[in-house]
Amino acid sequence: MATALANPLGVFARESVAELRKNLRLPQFALPTIITPAVFYGLFAIALNKGGPDAAAYSLATFGVFAATGPALFGFGAGVAVERESGLIELKRVSPLPGGAYVVAKLVSAAAMAALALVLIYGLSLVGGVRFPAETWAKLIAVHLVAVVPFALIGFAIGMRMGAKGSIAAANAFYLGFSILGGLWMPITIMPPWMQQVAWATPSFHLGQLALSIIGVPPEGSILAHIAALVGITILAAWFAVGGWRKSPA
Amino acid sequence: MDSDHMQIVGRLDAVTKKFGSHLVLDGISLEIRAGEVTALLGPNGAGKTTAVGLLTGRLTPDSGKVDLFGLDPSRPLARARMGVMLQSAGLPDVLTVRELVTLQSGYYRNPREVSETIALAGLEGLEKRAAGKLSGGQQRRLHYALAICGQPDLLVLDEPTTGLDHEARRHLWTTVREEADSGAAVLLTTHYLEEADALADRILVIAEGRIVADDAPAGIKASVGGCTIRCRTALTDAHLAALPGVRSVARSGAAATLLVADAAAGARALLAADPALTDLTISAASLEEALANLSTSIRKAA
Repeated sequence: MATALANPLGVFARESVAELRKNLRLPQFALPTIITPAVFYGLFAIALNKGGPDAAAYSLATFGVFAATGPALFGFGAGVAVERESGLIELKRVSPLPGGAYVVAKLVSAAAMAALALVLIYGLSLVGGVRFPAETWAKLIAVHLVAVVPFALIGFAIGMRMGAKGSIAAANAFYLGFSILGGLWMPITIMPPWMQQVAWATPSFHLGQLALSIIGVPPEGSILAHIAALVGITILAAWFAVGGWRKSPA
Repeated sequence: MDSDHMQIVGRLDAVTKKFGSHLVLDGISLEIRAGEVTALLGPNGAGKTTAVGLLTGRLTPDSGKVDLFGLDPSRPLARARMGVMLQSAGLPDVLTVRELVTLQSGYYRNPREVSETIALAGLEGLEKRAAGKLSGGQQRRLHYALAICGQPDLLVLDEPTTGLDHEARRHLWTTVREEADSGAAVLLTTHYLEEADALADRILVIAEGRIVADDAPAGIKASVGGCTIRCRTALTDAHLAALPGVRSVARSGAAATLLVADAAAGARALLAADPALTDLTISAASLEEALANLSTSIRKAA
């Protein structure tokens, strides 16, 4: 029998489906990550809204980024750390599964969970009177889904370098820190100047500014600077994550 | 059987591996051949799992060479014909037996039918059970199913029967033997001489990171097997050690422990030398006792 691998497309697809199934069967993970953004958005941007549809639209741009952080940070960060400690990653790594398939499956699954969370807040925004042209919706959805990538890589880096309990704590700290410092819940212009400076180090701030620019809100600083900063943060996170994956004996 | 002409599927060649300053493998060479069950036998901490880690591409050697189907084992292609059962692997609690076997089968080009894998591993009736709801023994059988689902040409089993009851252990031995008889190479690590003896065509004894013996089971049993005789006796250590068939003597106060090749001959000689001895017990030597004896004799010879 000749040595040959299974068709990689099929392997990646089945691994992704299994990963998503795993997430959806864990209500203690799935429910908070899908529902929390909708609850926050519904409360702050719809129920307590005093600024009408414009304010609801502004919040939609940044809460959409918030919806991507949960699945990415917790699915990857805590998920990878738990599966590394249990020996599951080791089992995958001695199998013929290409290393990339494990990571891609987790990314696809995080994006799918984020998509479910986004559907809920998009629906609420319509109730709140938010209306965009189709092109604006398309761009906004693209930014909100792309937002999964940098957060997932940060989560991956945490998961490969910290234990399960430490990873959960770290993921929580990043989840809250990125949301507040990135201006995802409240505009950063109402915060002290030092916090506005720290915001530049967070991917959430740049993603929020990109999303705001799409709906016509002038961004802080230039769009190009935000894109460049985002690419830089993503590469740095990927470098940390891959280094952890290579170094880990498991 | 002409072993020179048997196909070699995996090889460690003068491999050393350190963790920190601890030398775990000290220049190990071994070959795994098709159609043969090779047992790596040694006490805990001897370096068995590290050797498996190197062969499966999870670890890289500090020096020496590792070869898997002619390739570097860190490449997925090298692992395309291998199935591995690790000592412990936490499977996702919420996926079912059938889902996990199906997923793993998909990693291979020519997998078994999922139902066939499940039957071979003795998991019929548990297909729809979540992995988290399986008993310890059932989880080990699921690990075994994941190792054989790809019809591998090399099956690597790291302490496969730990946590299995007697009947499940016998069943596993039978199916592993069938894998080898149909042409697969099997590498098995164990710290049970009984298991290596029941399954293996060839036993490599590993102690302190080195292969200290490499022989068919009968040869290994002759050198590391034997019995332990315990008794209270007035005879001196020197006198005891000089009795026929006695390999080693240990003592605490009046209680002496002798390692002997043949229990009956040893007991006869002992009783003849000291008719007044008391508290005589005879038991099979544990692997640790036998290996301590084996490595002592090797050190003496060196």
